[in-house]
Amino acid sequence: MASEFGHRRFAEVVLPHLDDAFGLARWLTGNRTDAEDVVQDACMKALVAIDTSIIERPRAWVLTIVRNTAFTWLAKNRPKTVVLTDDEQLLETAAARQTGDTAANPEESLIAAADEAALEAAIQALPHLFREVIVMHDIQGLSYREISATIGAPVGTVMSRLARARAKLIQELGSRQ
Amino acid sequence: MTDTTRKQQTLLLNAALDGELDAAGTLDMEARLAADPELAAEYRRLAGLRDVIRARVPRERAPDALRARVMAMAQPPVSARPTAPRRPKLWDASYRALAASLLVGMLLGGGVVEQLASTAREDDVDRDVVAGFVRGRLSGQSVDVATSDRHTVKPWLAGKIAGATTVVDLKADGFPLVGGRVDVFGQTPVATLIYQRREHQIALSEMPLGSAGGSGPSDRRTRDGFSLLEWSDGGRRFTAVSDLPPAELDAFGAAFRRAAAAEREEPSKP
Repeated sequence: MASEFGHRRFAEVVLPHLDDAFGLARWLTGNRTDAEDVVQDACMKALVAIDTSIIERPRAWVLTIVRNTAFTWLAKNRPKTVVLTDDEQLLETAAARQTGDTAANPEESLIAAADEAALEAAIQALPHLFREVIVMHDIQGLSYREISATIGAPVGTVMSRLARARAKLIQELGSRQ
Repeated sequence: MTDTTRKQQTLLLNAALDGELDAAGTLDMEARLAADPELAAEYRRLAGLRDVIRARVPRERAPDALRARVMAMAQPPVSARPTAPRRPKLWDASYRALAASLLVGMLLGGGVVEQLASTAREDDVDRDVVAGFVRGRLSGQSVDVATSDRHTVKPWLAGKIAGATTVVDLKADGFPLVGGRVDVFGQTPVATLIYQRREHQIALSEMPLGSAGGSGPSDRRTRDGFSLLEWSDGGRRFTAVSDLPPAELDAFGAAFRRAAAAEREEPSKP
């Protein structure tokens, strides 16, 4: 367990990022109740790890633990929904299956008219590895570099996942009936 | 256009949208957008998506119950806390003074009593030293004056800090000088030098010793996972902090003290 100093540091490092921690967990698990469990579990892990960690980017450090905890939770509770691979072919297939991309020319006006429910559904329909970069970048405002640190992948991977995720969302939202 | 360059272009387009391109990349992309209506339409769709997400997808807030539970975790266990809230700071400091002095006592076999008295004060300095180091690394801007020339750093610091700062060249020892900055510890401006070792940095702060004194042995400790090394020479206190392994920080301390002593003996040399 953490030292007394560790507890104080935990408060300094984790508490400011609790909203984003919960947000990421909510988007990854798909609901608020499970997200609460994941975040609480992640905080316990953070408290254990804090005395021995060198933390250069607190938000990335917190989100990394939340992300790992969420993926462990998903593997156990929703194994069929997770495609955890860097194989672009598989990610593409998964995305195509879930969003069914057919339309060729997405409409700008349709995208702009998307309401919260439509956006929620479209983002939620993305494979997890695409979804998390959209959430971290477009909703939570992390930089490419922070996301790269969080997911432990090169910036180039962050860029290509973000681009593909956006292409899927544009396809989905811009071709609604 | 081949598939690869098309893909590359899409990545750059996204990066441009996100403000992640440098000036040259941005100029290039603006020229391409002006020349290619299809690309411009793609950019407008991307911007539209970004705007609608920003406007309509709320950033989550952690539920109050969860926040309360996590805040409770941040409280130290009851057994490690003083029973009453009276003067917790004093208790806190002496607890760590005891731990620190035990360690130092084991290492040096002496100086325990003196250490006990000075540790509370040192603790505050340690915190400032580590905070300064982390801030420097986070911002990627660890120096106010960036130069490997000690004859530039020294006068720059002299204009800002009372008293001369010891600046030595340790390039031959494998610790090239990166530059200097002024830190503020408590209320006191302090000269800090930055040296490089591979991808690591060492921040060395020099301050008056308070009590009159000659030279003291080096004392190494860790804080927040960073190594700290402290010594005194010629009535000045030196505190080095780094993300280097402790052994390498020791080597740095030894090299600095050697070079500084050599400089004191040959004051005529510029």
